[in-house]
Amino acid sequence: MSFIADKQTLDDLNLPGKYKPDSIYNLFNRVHTTGGEKLLDALFQHPLTDPDEINRRSELFRYFQQKALAFPLVGESLNVMENYLGGGGGENFVMAITGTARRKLLDSVVRDEAYSRIKTGLLTTIEVLKLFFDFMGRLEEEDGLDGPFGKQIRRVKEIFNDRRLEGLRTEWEAGWSWLKVARYDHLLRNLLQTEMATLTGIIYQLDVFMAVGHVAALKGYTYAHALPAAFNTIRATGLRHPRLEKAVGNPVSLHQDRNMLFLTGANMAGKSTLMKAFGISVYLAHMGFPVAAEEMTFSVKDGIYSSINVPDNLSLGHSHFYAEVLRVKKVAVEVSVAKDLVVIFDELFKGTNVKDAYDATLAVTEELSAYRNCFFIISTHIIEVGETLRERCNNIQFARLPTVMEGTTPRYLYKLQEGITADRHGMMIIENEGILGIIALNPA
Amino acid sequence: MRFITDNQTLEDLKIVGQGDHSVISIFNRTVTRGGAALLDELFRYPLSDANAINHRSSIIQYFASIKAVFPFSGELFDVLEQYLSNTDERTRLSPDEHTLGKKLTHLIAEDTDYKNIYKGVTAVIDILHGLRSFIDSIGPAGGPTRSTHSPAADPAGSTHAQDEQFPYYTEKNAIAELLSDPVLELLVKERSNSKIPYNKVAAYDTLLRFRHRDTIKKIVRPVYYLDVYLSVAKVALQRSFVFPRALPKEQHTLVLEGVYHPQLKNAVPNTLYMGPDSNVIFLTGANMAGKSTFMKSLGIALFLAHMGFPVPAGKMTFSVFDGIYTTINLPDNLGMGASHFYAEVLRVKKLAKELSLSKDLFIIFDELFRGTNVKDAYEATIAITGAFAQRRNSMFVISTHIMEAGEILRQQFGNISFQYLPTHMNGNDPVYTYTLEAGITDDRHGMVIVRNEGIIDILKNGKKKIS
Repeated sequence: MSFIADKQTLDDLNLPGKYKPDSIYNLFNRVHTTGGEKLLDALFQHPLTDPDEINRRSELFRYFQQKALAFPLVGESLNVMENYLGGGGGENFVMAITGTARRKLLDSVVRDEAYSRIKTGLLTTIEVLKLFFDFMGRLEEEDGLDGPFGKQIRRVKEIFNDRRLEGLRTEWEAGWSWLKVARYDHLLRNLLQTEMATLTGIIYQLDVFMAVGHVAALKGYTYAHALPAAFNTIRATGLRHPRLEKAVGNPVSLHQDRNMLFLTGANMAGKSTLMKAFGISVYLAHMGFPVAAEEMTFSVKDGIYSSINVPDNLSLGHSHFYAEVLRVKKVAVEVSVAKDLVVIFDELFKGTNVKDAYDATLAVTEELSAYRNCFFIISTHIIEVGETLRERCNNIQFARLPTVMEGTTPRYLYKLQEGITADRHGMMIIENEGILGIIALNPA
Repeated sequence: MRFITDNQTLEDLKIVGQGDHSVISIFNRTVTRGGAALLDELFRYPLSDANAINHRSSIIQYFASIKAVFPFSGELFDVLEQYLSNTDERTRLSPDEHTLGKKLTHLIAEDTDYKNIYKGVTAVIDILHGLRSFIDSIGPAGGPTRSTHSPAADPAGSTHAQDEQFPYYTEKNAIAELLSDPVLELLVKERSNSKIPYNKVAAYDTLLRFRHRDTIKKIVRPVYYLDVYLSVAKVALQRSFVFPRALPKEQHTLVLEGVYHPQLKNAVPNTLYMGPDSNVIFLTGANMAGKSTFMKSLGIALFLAHMGFPVPAGKMTFSVFDGIYTTINLPDNLGMGASHFYAEVLRVKKLAKELSLSKDLFIIFDELFRGTNVKDAYEATIAITGAFAQRRNSMFVISTHIMEAGEILRQQFGNISFQYLPTHMNGNDPVYTYTLEAGITDDRHGMVIVRNEGIIDILKNGKKKIS
């Protein structure tokens, strides 16, 4: 079963999306090849739910991070190679020979480009294959065949050991007759079609693994350790938002006896950022990707739901509040069918008046927290809900993001503390911006 | 001065943009591409001068009253635009080249260049003919050529009187004058539907594309205007929109009867009056009672009115504003790290700056300060609404859930009008009238909605693996 995260969640956390400049995808998109980009995208689309698979994958990233090697190939040649390899197929040797002969003839008679295009494609492909093989050889030399990438190295070796490819190295220098072009063209594009597809696949993997490892090293990310679901725990220290430079790290620890974090804090104190940081880390951890934390251990979950920026759907006639209600309902249904979920609700029911928001937040939060197999982070500005919950439930952690006042200027620490906040600085922000004075300027 | 607004407002009201939901899509029935582009331009630049607004509005009204039909096809203008855009001297037809040899070539294979030029020239002739007969067919008989009545010599008031009889008078005269240009007259005399010989086509081509290009361009613009006016008139007729009457800015009044949202089926109309003594509307109501929709209909009507366009309402009279700003769906800019509350504060600050420049603005703010805790929202709403109320030349419509703020404001200010959108309970189901009533409501049905969706029951009865 694949890890669940719906569009709202992906948008909230800004995870995939090549064309969104601030997406987490783009944070890792340091690949050199278009195929690598596609593979990276596929990894973002399909996080894992098997702890062994997750740990194996993160092992690979870690391996390449430690190697700190530069990607040995040029993206442009890879494109040429893929175009070239994708173009052939289905011919037998006789037809291939005559086809090449015809193209060669056209080339010399009417300067047709088909022949020279094939020759360039072939030579580029051979060049790439040689570089790739050398690189894999170097990895084998350093780490043998039992390293994390050993399986791939072995496969590459098998393919290159094909007797028909032996000539490649020796004949390389000897110049290229049209007959030789025809022979290798037929070999690479027809006879070894599947093998070549396997090789390009491994090249793209290599590209992605190296890119991710590189980003992890650059940003000081670490690899989360995955545990089976039964452990029912998520523990992270120094957790921060991967998109923010100089972000402040915070610990978050959720488990069966403390499966809900009730978060309060003044505006701008960093509630949303912390929740996003948590959501992003959980998602990346399930991909086996490095996370922006000092340390993280987690038991695998079935999915994640967040509700941070719920858009109102006015074309359907829904108010903001109703949109929130529908969102909560959707999550409630998912939680109630015994899935192990991570749920993040930022400012639950902010679209309604405070009295309704109080009643609704209290009722929903209390019922949710009874699902001990799920983990919740819920933030609200309705402090009173927290007071009541503290009396009624014993499995909720209360945390706040404090503000310190320096004269009239609020300063935010972005550092989690225990308890429920009493900070209110809304009016102060308005005064600091001098709005009332501006409105009163130049009276009519 | 230009009428000011911003992207937030245009997006809140869905004024422009592709798709069926924008306001512009209601009016976009133009025949020509040029007309569509012009309509877009009019939407981007509403007017802030009462005379200009009333003038445009009375022209559209006039065309609606005579049910005028646009006399051209869209393709005709596509041909024309393409023809005029080709200013390459080398394509110019030379009269001497029409030799026997050329004629022979034409017999064997059609010369596409020549064919295009020929099509262009005949398009111009067709357009001139069509325009001539169209302007002759409208307005009082014999009117347009009254040379004794020069518009420039008019005393200021008589444009007004003129507008009432035949508002298109000035424009019609201008077109007639353009058509009397000697070059164009030459072409007008050419009968349409008859084959024009090569030499003549070559001569016309030189005139039209090279020597008198600007004259042709000048004649096209009023046609695009006509296209827009006629399509808007048609929409007004079909949808029974009314034409608002603009008053000078100094009057500071708004009478808006039976205003409704143009993109909703079975929209409920509402009526409101605003003036210096009631320049703030403090709007309360439960969720889904229709606050946002009402505010949007109001914004759309004001925007259209400032374009001189017909509005979805029963009656509308308004003094002209310098601009309109709405804040209905304010996005929080979390990428920049600002919270929703801070986004609201910055938005209010922007409006405050505009107000401090002594501009007369129409400001709509939905759910002022919802991104903060109750106590802060309460204090901020009172402070900001109170400050707004003192800008008597501007008008404000502010909705909030914090009814307690309303009580305080009622004691402090006499110029705030309190309105609410009621909810009636039919057993467990809320029923909405969508009709404004005076007062403040404490209706709230949030919990009812949560319960009706069955959320608590779902959670109570769900399967808990561990509890």
